[in-house]
Amino acid sequence: MFSRIKEIYKYREFLKTTTKKEFRGKYKKSFFGVLWSFINPLLQLAVYSLVFPYIFKVKEDNYIMFLFVALVPWSFFSTAVAQSAGSIVYNAGILKKVYFPREILPISIVASGAINFLISCIIIFVALIVSGIGFSWYILLLPVILLIQCIVSLAIAFILSSITVYVRDVEYFINVLLMLWMYLTPVLYSISLIPENFLGILNLNPMFHIIVAYRDIFYSKVMPNMTNLGILFGVSLVLLFISYAIFKKLEKRFAEEL
Amino acid sequence: MENKEPKVVIDVKNLTKTFNVYYDKANTLKERLIFFRRNNHDVRVVLDNINLQIQKGETVALIGVNGSGKSTLLKLMTKIIFPNKGTVKVNGRLTSLLELGAGFHPDFSGRENIYFNSSIFGLTKKQIESRVNDIIEFSELEPYMENPVRTYSSGMYMRLAFAIAINVDADILLIDEILAVGDQHFQEKCYDKLRELKEKGKTIVIVSHDLTSIQRLCDRSIWLNNGRIRIDGKTEDVIPEYIKECT
Repeated sequence: MFSRIKEIYKYREFLKTTTKKEFRGKYKKSFFGVLWSFINPLLQLAVYSLVFPYIFKVKEDNYIMFLFVALVPWSFFSTAVAQSAGSIVYNAGILKKVYFPREILPISIVASGAINFLISCIIIFVALIVSGIGFSWYILLLPVILLIQCIVSLAIAFILSSITVYVRDVEYFINVLLMLWMYLTPVLYSISLIPENFLGILNLNPMFHIIVAYRDIFYSKVMPNMTNLGILFGVSLVLLFISYAIFKKLEKRFAEEL
Repeated sequence: MENKEPKVVIDVKNLTKTFNVYYDKANTLKERLIFFRRNNHDVRVVLDNINLQIQKGETVALIGVNGSGKSTLLKLMTKIIFPNKGTVKVNGRLTSLLELGAGFHPDFSGRENIYFNSSIFGLTKKQIESRVNDIIEFSELEPYMENPVRTYSSGMYMRLAFAIAINVDADILLIDEILAVGDQHFQEKCYDKLRELKEKGKTIVIVSHDLTSIQRLCDRSIWLNNGRIRIDGKTEDVIPEYIKECT
């Protein structure tokens, strides 16, 4: 394990350039370029904040902000997961001809997503000021929540990216799964709307706690449930080890299957 | 152990590699259901129980007809693929040049690709910066550095790729048949550079069909035939045997 970390550290420049390429190359040749990664969630926000308060009559004091602080981290998660599925397959070209630590590809997807998210946080901060919600000290917990989210995303990215090499269908299936997952996570609605008997099952969803925590520190300005976050941190680390082991196992035949 | 003792940098033991050769790669649910249990692939043994050791500072040529397993052996040494049986042990930093500009990004400029491609070989930013001028100089592509590499000719592509690989400062250099693309002048330059690296004590393994160049560069040749080592010995002994068989 330690030697793998050393190996990845040795290839840190490669990790940096792939992350950069991931970040910049995605919207290359489009007119708005990198701006798309911010326009997209804003447009999504516009759609949801029209549909939910006015058509579905969701009652929330400031629904736009209520939604915004959850939608941005969610779109980081869903983009990272969706893109990671193809990360090995799309790099078949270099993978078959050059050796490098393969795990760099899914890692770079999550890393570029995290950078994107951090930049988007600036927009959240501005929106918090403009909307009059303001800040609380709890915002200092942002790095902790982000770290947990990165571990969860990375664990999923390792599994999906390696399995997609063998079962290409995963890539197509994942979008539907993410849509379902979003509705099982309190992004669009508040937890108070969830019936008691569902709460137990939803508790098993790691993104449930992460999104709730984001909303706590940004929107509700209360202390997030640290016990839940602590448990989630432990569980996500275990998940990461398992998914990495699966990745290393499946990695051996990447070049032949692609 | 004494320091003067030759050090084994590549150690291949009882190596066997098989490939599944599919008749038709499309393996969908529909076909699976209809042809349940039908085996749609053959197993082909590409390398059969190979044993070889390469010492530090050796220049080794792998020769043999197409399909004899030369490139597969190189890929196993770089750890792009893994053996079914046996082991491959490598000591030291290894760079491989298996294909022209593997990992070049066509839309990026030549200079950006130098950074990107060197980073694939595991160099840090500092190390790349100290080599960038050498790379440009060796490639003789100075005027084209700011153009995207998709506008390069295949010769220019290869020059840039070779210039990068050779400046990585690896202990072991694996080269698959790619030098043939350059013109006479650049080929000469490449072989001169390889000889220079050889004198510096680097290990070089090269796959080539250019027997004259091999004779000038490599001390040792390994003749692979049908996935087995036919002869492993001094180049001047192996090549005449190989020519005798082929003609």
